[in-house]
Amino acid sequence: MAEFGQFAITGVTVGMVYALIALGFVLIWKSSGVANLTLGQLVLVFSWFTYGMLVQAGFPVWLGMPLVVLFAVGVGWLVERIALRPLIGQPILSLITVTLGVAFFIEGMVSFIWPKSVAALPRLFPDEPVHVGAAVVSQEYLWAAVISVVLFVLLTLFFKRHRMGIVMRAVADDQMAVQACGIPVAQIFSRSWMFACALAAVGGVLMSSIGGITFGLVETGLKAFSVVILGGLDSFLGAIVAGPIIGLAENVGGGYLTPLTWPGVREIIPFVIIVIVMFIRPHGLFGERRIERI
Amino acid sequence: MSLPTGIRSYSYSQDMAVFRTRTHWVWLAVLLAFLFTGPLYWSNYWLGVVNLIGITVIAATGLNILTGYCGQLSIGHAGFIAVGAYTSAIMTNRFELPFLVGLISAGGIAGLVGMVFGIPSLRVKGFYLAISTIAAQFIIIWVINHWTSLTGGFVGISVPPASIGGISLVSQASQFYLIMIVVIIVVFLTNNLARSRVGRAFVAIRDNDLAAQVMGINLFRYKLLAFFLGCFLAGIAGSLLAHWTGFMNAENFTMTDSILYIGMIIIGGLGTTIGPILGVLFIRLAQQGITFLSPLLEDTFAMPAGFTTGLGPMVFGLAIMLFLILEPRGLAHRWALIRASYRLWPF
Repeated sequence: MAEFGQFAITGVTVGMVYALIALGFVLIWKSSGVANLTLGQLVLVFSWFTYGMLVQAGFPVWLGMPLVVLFAVGVGWLVERIALRPLIGQPILSLITVTLGVAFFIEGMVSFIWPKSVAALPRLFPDEPVHVGAAVVSQEYLWAAVISVVLFVLLTLFFKRHRMGIVMRAVADDQMAVQACGIPVAQIFSRSWMFACALAAVGGVLMSSIGGITFGLVETGLKAFSVVILGGLDSFLGAIVAGPIIGLAENVGGGYLTPLTWPGVREIIPFVIIVIVMFIRPHGLFGERRIERI
Repeated sequence: MSLPTGIRSYSYSQDMAVFRTRTHWVWLAVLLAFLFTGPLYWSNYWLGVVNLIGITVIAATGLNILTGYCGQLSIGHAGFIAVGAYTSAIMTNRFELPFLVGLISAGGIAGLVGMVFGIPSLRVKGFYLAISTIAAQFIIIWVINHWTSLTGGFVGISVPPASIGGISLVSQASQFYLIMIVVIIVVFLTNNLARSRVGRAFVAIRDNDLAAQVMGINLFRYKLLAFFLGCFLAGIAGSLLAHWTGFMNAENFTMTDSILYIGMIIIGGLGTTIGPILGVLFIRLAQQGITFLSPLLEDTFAMPAGFTTGLGPMVFGLAIMLFLILEPRGLAHRWALIRASYRLWPF
């Protein structure tokens, strides 16, 4: 039972970070209809940038972290401005593949600037493990969960109360109508990219404070895809609910299935979930079922 | 098909001919003669490069059927190539079957696996399909890495050289002829497929699948057919790759390669016969250029250590972005413009 508790707590907390990264995806998808396949590489580059700030430049955390978020926002602005803006109105095929091009470019950048393949962030959280019932959990996980929840709440408030958030939801709902109201839609696209990148940066820092910075962080981004597929592409709630489910399935399933099957089974559980969802319920748990007309 | 002034077609078969004028035939003969005498004056290294280009052309043509004609984006092409490569390797190494059996069954099994992952395409498209093919990529590679008794796992598997009718094709030159013959067959058949009912049905599905269905195209059958054909060619390419390299593991089939294949057909031009060939030439020759240039640049300008590994992805990512933004019809469009200006010269 202690074992189960261990798996469950790790799973849910990691899943919350996935949900955080996935929220950025949903944000872009809803507002501009672009599928952001760069997510994994963004997580990677922001983690490395954090390493650059905290270790290489030696900044303290209170200065380094805001710089990371600022950098992320800048990257989001740049990507939207350079790669996506010229392609507004193009078929979805181009919109997806251009993000793949961006992903490739960022991957090259990362190995260009940080040729090491592995690095560790300095300790951001106290390293005393915490006892939850019979399970022993290191503090990083709990902090990741707490920070994610705080961000969920802030984002929800932002989208419900703040003018900008309401505008973003309106763009997601009907671009034409929003344009007619005199709101610059292209600017909203750019904002949603900035938001998504900031979320990816926070998610990246949380993930790499748990497991260090490796190339495997790219797969964290890919796991965020399984979160959005399970939760429904156009649902914030879906992402928040599906994140912990994926994390849980990955850790509990990985923990109990490894003796039965081959080792490393936890790596592909999110992908198997994608395939299953795709066969059974392609619009996900909370996604809108689309009815297509000519 | 635009023709030079003064040339008319007097029969249907003339109208449908791929090579219509005498000039076309002359150019074709020159090209084939140049290609097939290649081993006489190319060094072994460049023959290897040409062989890799040939194999990649087959795989990219498959992806072009699937993505370029039928509009079903697949980001798992390297995974399907891996299925073909391992099928062929296991057939010839573990069961000691002849190479040709391995080649055909590699195509068949890769096609079937592709069809399984293509089933969701009936209900979903665009991003969903992209994600399900990414999932296919990871699941396939994971199975290959862990089914050690069959595939050799992380260590890899050695593949005997291809042999046809007792003649073992070991040297680069003999492999060259095998690969080029397959390339020519594949390109010829694909070109004709695109002009048949099946090809037109694919294009109709790409442009508007609902309208296509209303016109009486069985979406399920044709989408699965596109997946089968695309992945069949991936399997053939995989089999040739396996016998060409002689030893492989799953490292040869990463998601980066899958993205690169998409880059190739975008740079070349989606939905054209010549597109994949031009795109593959562009990417593979650029890779050669980078491996040649980057150590030089690194020495001259004292670049940081990651320069050599980072340059390739950066250049290719940039190329994909620039082509999508500036020339979405790809090099094939440029090629058509060049041909037109040649035909219309001096106007």
